[in-house]
Amino acid sequence: MWTYLPELLDRPVPRYTSYPTAMEFSDAVGAGDFVAALDDVAQGTPISLYVHIPFCEQICWYCGCNTGAAGRKQRLSDYLDALKREITMVARRLGGRGKVQRIAFGGGSPNAIAPVEFIRLLDHIITIFDAGQPNISVELDPRGFTPEWSMALSAAGVDRVSLGVQTFAAHVQQRIGRIQPKADIEDAVASLRSHGIEQVNFDLMFGLPGQSLTDLDDTLSQTIDLAPSRISLFGYAHLPALLPRQRRIDGSNLPDHELRFRQAHRGYQRLTEAGYQAIGFDHFARPEDALAKASMRGKVRRNFQGFTEDQSDVLIGFGASAISQFSRLICQNEKRVGVYRDRVNARDWAAERGVKISADDQQRGEIIRGILCQGRAKIPHAMLYSARDALVKYEVHGLMMWRQNELILPSYALPYARLIAAEFDRLRGNVTSEYQMA
Amino acid sequence: MLGKIGRRQKIKAGHVLMWEGDEAPVVANVLDGVLKMVVSAADGREQIVGVVFPSDFIGRPFGKETPYSVTAMTDAEMCIFNRKAFDEFASSHPDLQQKLLRRTLDELDRARHWMMLLGRKTASEKIASFLLEMSERLSGQGCEAGVRASFELPFGRQQIADILGLTIETTSRQLTKMRADGLLDLPSRREIVIQDRNALELLAG
Repeated sequence: MWTYLPELLDRPVPRYTSYPTAMEFSDAVGAGDFVAALDDVAQGTPISLYVHIPFCEQICWYCGCNTGAAGRKQRLSDYLDALKREITMVARRLGGRGKVQRIAFGGGSPNAIAPVEFIRLLDHIITIFDAGQPNISVELDPRGFTPEWSMALSAAGVDRVSLGVQTFAAHVQQRIGRIQPKADIEDAVASLRSHGIEQVNFDLMFGLPGQSLTDLDDTLSQTIDLAPSRISLFGYAHLPALLPRQRRIDGSNLPDHELRFRQAHRGYQRLTEAGYQAIGFDHFARPEDALAKASMRGKVRRNFQGFTEDQSDVLIGFGASAISQFSRLICQNEKRVGVYRDRVNARDWAAERGVKISADDQQRGEIIRGILCQGRAKIPHAMLYSARDALVKYEVHGLMMWRQNELILPSYALPYARLIAAEFDRLRGNVTSEYQMA
Repeated sequence: MLGKIGRRQKIKAGHVLMWEGDEAPVVANVLDGVLKMVVSAADGREQIVGVVFPSDFIGRPFGKETPYSVTAMTDAEMCIFNRKAFDEFASSHPDLQQKLLRRTLDELDRARHWMMLLGRKTASEKIASFLLEMSERLSGQGCEAGVRASFELPFGRQQIADILGLTIETTSRQLTKMRADGLLDLPSRREIVIQDRNALELLAG
């Protein structure tokens, strides 16, 4: 049973898709650091690729992603040309070092481009990186998804797709500017399955305007009926000052803190009762899914797309706003599509900001990931004293316990995992290293 | 109709296809001959990403400003299109659009096939998989359908060796051994008769 403790939950904390987080990115890091990190990649290193398609057929009001209207065809094709050029530049610089094992396409909506363009892009990546059999995943917008897409994805050997479902409640869909009949989802799932693509994720949301517990319950029931292999249940973050497109959303009927807490709890209860295994604080996977299996072995990791079974230490992102991660560096490409395109066409690197990962960051990052992904972390001696102090307020509520130098979260502490993790954040938490204080 | 935007070009064996008329990337249909598509890496290594035969479509843009190049392994003839014009034409003809998708998928398939083939470890594995691949690719042309046991390679042993990254000595030695083991017969320099397909498949790994 989850307990609502507003005094603890009051504090906004990052989602830690990386540590340091994107908030710490600055232009002190740039293309030179990116190239140096590429040059540091040793022969045979497993590499994952992320390819960003910043276009959608329709723009939804709630969305915080870097995306724009697909609109003119020429704009899309110019972007794809630049993308291929960037991919070629990076592949040449790597000169065959590193082995591409995973390719993820995200957006935006990768299916805002034509199927043949998608296959050309995939073909280019596979041939230029000499990556015969990578694991491939693609985010899809179910609206406008066609059987032709299913055929193309299946023939191209795509392993996993992620459908943006968000909510089945029509009145909530209206409030977030994403009208999506249930038939669209059912058709997409049926068509994907008939083409042999069984690994289907649903992205769902709670905390949406006008969304009641009953609305969420209905969406969960319908989701469980359709039996996707993975589900992510994200809380909507209303930040109209930061994200202009959210200004179209009426903020007056957003669920309050307590209702959001109950919605997350309801999601957890319903999905685990339906046989899904909870992964981290917002993912759920069927026991036969690779993520659930990784979780059994304590191998779940965190990346920019969420919780993952991906074990690669190097992630290279392509496209506008894409983020790359190396063991000592995180960097992000130019965000604006036009500027990105011009830069790549002038043979410049697109990376323009980021953050270096110090030895202290690495240690803290490992603890944060341990808490979020596994619900446990071994705390090095130098941090132990201040950690025990900083965590007393969680310990008194039974939200964590110590076994020697290892901190362990019981399963009902899940909604507090990010808060506990944040105590180890050098900028946001209270845990210090002895050698730091010296 | 499509012929109107395409231009025929002949190319001699061993030559890299140069498209003089236009700086823009092009795509092509193979009319005659056998060609290989190569992508060059930074360290000068050449990676073969496909060998194409008559009626195959090369949809990867090649020419200036692209990482791909096309070299004729035999005398060849192609119909070449400006890629942009080709795409525009296809987008206004739905059936062609579908065919283009199908052919792009075929090309991806072929690239994966070649990578697997070239990723084989031993010379005997490479040659066995290469011969199986050739028997499939060279069958189904003309009237007879299905995979034939006997076919004529459109090129010699030196080129087999080049494609597979082997020496000509190793290539010849392996072929001789396969014949001695009863896997195949070699009636002439270029003719191949597969006598024991199962054994050859086993050898291919």
